[in-house]
Amino acid sequence: MIGPLLQLQCVTIRFGGLTAVSEVDFQIGGRELVGLIGPNGAGKTTVFNLVTGVYQPTSGAILFAGQPTANLKSNQLARLGIARTFQNIRLFASMSVFDNVRVAVQLHSPHGIRDALWRGRGFREGERAVETQVMELLEIFNLGRFRAANAKSLPYGDQRRLEIVRALATRPKLLLLDEPAAGMNTTEKVALTQLIRFIKDKFQIAVLLVEHDMQVVMGICERIAVLDYGIKIAEGSPAKVRADPRVIEAYLGDELKIQN
Amino acid sequence: MDNAAKRFLFAAVALAVIVSLCSSYFNRYYLGVAIDVGINVILAVSLNLINGHTGQFSLGHAGFMAVGGYTTAKFALLLQGQLPPWAQPLIFVAGLLLGGSMAAVAGLAVGVPTLRLKGDYLAIVTLGFGEIIRVIFQTTEAFGAATGLTGIPHWTNFAWTWSCAALTVFVVACLVNSTYGRGFIAVHDDEVAAGAMGINPVRYKITAFVIGAFFAGVAGGLYAHHKQFLSPGGFDFLKSIDIVVMVILGGMGRTVGVIIAAVLLTILPEALRGFAGYRMILYSLLIIILMLTRPQGLFTFGRAAQRKV
Ligand SMILES: Nc1ncnc2c1ncn2[C@@H]1O[C@H](COP(=O)(O)OP(=O)(O)OP(=O)(O)O)[C@@H](O)[C@H]1O
Ligand SMILES: [Mg+2]
Repeated sequence: MIGPLLQLQCVTIRFGGLTAVSEVDFQIGGRELVGLIGPNGAGKTTVFNLVTGVYQPTSGAILFAGQPTANLKSNQLARLGIARTFQNIRLFASMSVFDNVRVAVQLHSPHGIRDALWRGRGFREGERAVETQVMELLEIFNLGRFRAANAKSLPYGDQRRLEIVRALATRPKLLLLDEPAAGMNTTEKVALTQLIRFIKDKFQIAVLLVEHDMQVVMGICERIAVLDYGIKIAEGSPAKVRADPRVIEAYLGDELKIQN
Repeated sequence: MDNAAKRFLFAAVALAVIVSLCSSYFNRYYLGVAIDVGINVILAVSLNLINGHTGQFSLGHAGFMAVGGYTTAKFALLLQGQLPPWAQPLIFVAGLLLGGSMAAVAGLAVGVPTLRLKGDYLAIVTLGFGEIIRVIFQTTEAFGAATGLTGIPHWTNFAWTWSCAALTVFVVACLVNSTYGRGFIAVHDDEVAAGAMGINPVRYKITAFVIGAFFAGVAGGLYAHHKQFLSPGGFDFLKSIDIVVMVILGGMGRTVGVIIAAVLLTILPEALRGFAGYRMILYSLLIIILMLTRPQGLFTFGRAAQRKV
């Protein structure tokens, strides 16, 4: 594939009088790990919702692998290869850890409603293949031992990791992580940083990371874009962004945090 | 496990046929109640797919039942005289399939426009839909209008009813207990997350409505040939609520619980005929108490949080 994997062209979205994202141009290449930062309410999650088809832009265009995504539904975008986690964890609450991942694996499993009703050999083989895939993924992330537990009964950090596993189970080309370190302690954050790097290398995918924790963002991102009031105010290497006066101003109170 | 499902189906059908063959030894009244129970099991288990598993709170199940009942009955009344007696079972099966299919079409007709609605709104619209269907039958001369359809042949027996019930349980349980079927529950739990994982919520909701309505239609057909008489009043929204209560009491989304609830809620009013007038009050009280004390349902066992089928 030539050209960027994901491309935002002058994307704007308004909610009534509020312009949550304003004329944002942005792109991300096939194997890049890019950070998207900005103060609270800057529009980061809204960008994710635009990219995953939860919202349609008021104006502008989003292209994935060169294809315009206008009017595509979330599930169609997932099929094309966009997966995400949620800022406020959205695991399937009534299901086990195993089933949470199983739902996502289903996207690329060939058997469907007919096999489920017929219960023939195709069904058994298909279900076995699904189980193998789910367990492989869970084992990679050390969640195999929780397979039968209810997803919401896991410790907070594990729930965040389970959301990442679930997203990876859709075999994405682009993974969107919305504040994966939120609520984690320092040790967990270090582990998460390694995990994100590992994911990028192992699955050979692009990652777009929204994160408030500057240590995490600055530590792993090759490039960082900064949003403030829906406007992209800076973009570049971590060093460049950190030194940008507009970024410092936007963060004002958080200034020290950035400098560190 | 998969063969176990099929074995259950064959065993249940065989048992139903055997019991039916011995039916002359049983009390006719109890046999009639057993058929009522079977019909309600079909209704509750099929509604459970829509309300319980997929989380689409529908109050229109009596409407689907009416579509199936009238279609099956009318079909039989039209063909009965034309064909030799040996063709009766064929007419009956064809009628049930036709009734189920017409109800499924009705399910599609409700499912599609109500896709965007949730919770109370969906409940109100489906309730209105059920009432519209009832009023259509009530005013259509070909379906007997307000007097209803009479002289429907008595073809429903224990074997037919419980075979259909077993088939309903098989279909719903097999659907939900599969990788494909977890999609219904995913839509129930979190539609946005389900979409992000590649689940098409629209597809799943419509599928639930169509399959649920199909079996409600079959139940309607069985009901028609059991009571031999159909009146539009029998399919009012109180009937829908009866079925919803079974699903809620059984613990939305738990097949075994819903079956137990359907059995109990059919037998209890029979046993307490004298109190028939208080049924709705009793139901309301039951639901309120239940919601306060056991929101996971009366007949759910094992870990409460974990979904079992
Ligand atoms: N559906 C919506 N309707 C109305 N306003 C919205 C909607 N979604 C987001 N907004 C508004 O858009 C702005 C950006 O919100 P967004 O959630 O994208 O911020 P964010 O950068 O993710 O912030 P945080 O760091 O707190 O998560 C906020 O002012 C928010 O209130
Ligand atoms: Mg956010």
